Amino acid sequence: MRSRGGLFALLAGACVIVAAGAVISAVIAQGTAATAPAARSVVLARPYVVFRSLDRAARAGELTSTAVAAPGRRRVRSGRVCARLYANATGGICIARGRSLLGAYEAELLAPDGRVRHRLDLSGVPSRARVSPDGRYGATTTFVTGHSYAAPGEFSTQTLLIDMRTGKAIADLESFTVSLAGRVVDAADVQFWGVTFARDSDRFYATLATAGKTHLIEGRVSARTAHVIHDNVECPSLSPDGTRIGYKKLVGAKGRAWRFHVLDLASKAETPLSETRSVDDQLEWLDDGHLLYGEKGAIWTVSADGTGAPRRYLSDADSPAVVR
Amino acid sequence: MYQVQDSSALVAGHRALLRERSKERRVPRTVVLLGLTSLLTDISSEMVAAVLPLYLVYAAGFTPLQLGIVDGLYRGAAAFVALASGFAADRRKRHKEVASLGYGLSAACKLALVAAGGAVGAIGAIVMLDRVGKGIRTAPRDALISLSASPKTLGAAFGVHRAMDTTGAMLGPLLAFGLLALAPLAFNTIFLVSFCFAVLGLGVIVLLVPGNPARSAREPGPSLRAATDLLVVPRFRALVVVASLLGMATISDAFLYLALQRHLELAPLTFPLLFVGASLAYMLLAVPIGRLADRVGRGRVFVAGYALLLPVYASLLLPAAGLPALALGLALVGASYAATDGVLAALASASLEEEVRGSGLAVITTATNLARFLASVGFGALWTWAGLDVAVMACGIALALAIVVTATLLVKTREPTSDA
Repeated sequence: MRSRGGLFALLAGACVIVAAGAVISAVIAQGTAATAPAARSVVLARPYVVFRSLDRAARAGELTSTAVAAPGRRRVRSGRVCARLYANATGGICIARGRSLLGAYEAELLAPDGRVRHRLDLSGVPSRARVSPDGRYGATTTFVTGHSYAAPGEFSTQTLLIDMRTGKAIADLESFTVSLAGRVVDAADVQFWGVTFARDSDRFYATLATAGKTHLIEGRVSARTAHVIHDNVECPSLSPDGTRIGYKKLVGAKGRAWRFHVLDLASKAETPLSETRSVDDQLEWLDDGHLLYGEKGAIWTVSADGTGAPRRYLSDADSPAVVR
Repeated sequence: MYQVQDSSALVAGHRALLRERSKERRVPRTVVLLGLTSLLTDISSEMVAAVLPLYLVYAAGFTPLQLGIVDGLYRGAAAFVALASGFAADRRKRHKEVASLGYGLSAACKLALVAAGGAVGAIGAIVMLDRVGKGIRTAPRDALISLSASPKTLGAAFGVHRAMDTTGAMLGPLLAFGLLALAPLAFNTIFLVSFCFAVLGLGVIVLLVPGNPARSAREPGPSLRAATDLLVVPRFRALVVVASLLGMATISDAFLYLALQRHLELAPLTFPLLFVGASLAYMLLAVPIGRLADRVGRGRVFVAGYALLLPVYASLLLPAAGLPALALGLALVGASYAATDGVLAALASASLEEEVRGSGLAVITTATNLARFLASVGFGALWTWAGLDVAVMACGIALALAIVVTATLLVKTREPTSDA
């Protein structure tokens, strides 16, 4: 009986040490995250690519940049960790874990040099982020329930338009008046995701989903309206010259796989790209002839005209954004 | 006149008698140790239960509805495991070992949560195994409590155990949210600390709790027949019937607190405080009410415990009466728990032969849980279709009827040893 008591004392000591060690190391990790050096600028000679670096487990998702001329040769790290990222010459959006008790996500609205200008609380799990070319508006999509676009009806998204100057959300896309074939869509199952802005910032494109189908909408922020211009389009991305949309299209007999396509806005001609994997990402245009996307922990590039083969562009990276 | 020359002998004799008496009244060490096991295990499991919804939403993208459905199924599975483990423990006369197996399984699940790293399928499987662990341990542990305590102090013994158990259930979430405040999103740290508490709890039962009292472990245990014949014992059968009836007529905790919150228009953030308030009352009252039950009759206290819920239900139908009324309501809910949960285990233990105690306690626990599950489904459906008032009124009437039936049946099957 005595030896059992001794054994228990030993066990209790071990438990206390393990538990205390776990708590202390978590608190220290928290402390180092909080006192990490202020974010450093990642500005390079344009054009350059900003992305989430995944090569160091300790700071997975660190905002990093590299020159388009020699991608990956030199990586400039910011010290800032993001769950989703977008940037252009006017600034950017880094969606990061908030500092609140429950650690909900917040959008950090960044100046071109990487300083945080504003913070905005978001609800749900981040999915997409974009900033308009002139830096007036930003857009974020979060999953309020569910965490993937793969299962229709089992997720719900919230897409916010943000005034980048004041740091306030100006509208939820669900408050816009959207028409499909001349009729206003007022179904309860309407969802929006994946905004892309035109050069004038006021005009935008996004995905509308209703009744189990997806559509491409073109809208105006100032008028709070949008209308459907094409079907079966998810996560649109407008080319720098403003003539084409790169997007995900559901294909196959069961409609269970995505293929990247490019849509010519004038002729409505669809061109399938040479990437044959089913990839869930919002495309980013590298230039008017090439696109970038993240898949399985790397950034890939593919020609916009459907020729050639996809090529690995950057290893251990995702969320590409081109600053031109 | 006869006089005692040396009164010190008398005084010493009197003292010895007193000591003997208080010894009988005292709750045995084994019960306290089992209470400690439950306290530590509840800290461990409630830490995880408090943060799991957050974890599932942030790390895995679950919806509450999915979680609710899956959880209901798991509870059902655990109920049937409980029957098997109760019988197995009786059969081999190894209550401590079977209970330890349940505690061990739940402890291992906490460590597995760290390894799962947010994979939805794995988390589902782990949560199920955790529930199975709870199903395995409950009946043998209660049997062990009842076998260690003297028949006269069963109420107090279960009272001490339930008070310690509830203390753990209140400390767990506090600890979890404290850790989250220190290190937001450090879910793995919480799982690891939870695992440490579970191992400590397991250590107490394995290393410190004595095994089944010497009572010849060689004698063959009861056959399956003996276990199924349990339901022929009039007193025990009556207890199973009334426990099921009462279980079906009560509003489940979650719904009751939700109804209180709606009725008084409380902020959603206060919701967990309702649980805390009722648990606090339960914790404080479990021992005194258990002792009271030993003294004035367990059946009486059991019936009175359910009657305490009637004014709470009635208050939901009357105009909202403010915070003092809420505090009183929560105190009544806690007192009701104190007068029914452990007391039912004591009542059932007293009606069962020692050989089949694990099986019998498993039957009554399973019946109660099944009845509560039905009640919860029924109340939810009534609330949705007919409104909250109708649902509350229906439950109130059903509960009043069930109380009358209970009182009648308990008096009818009162045993000569009298604990009615």
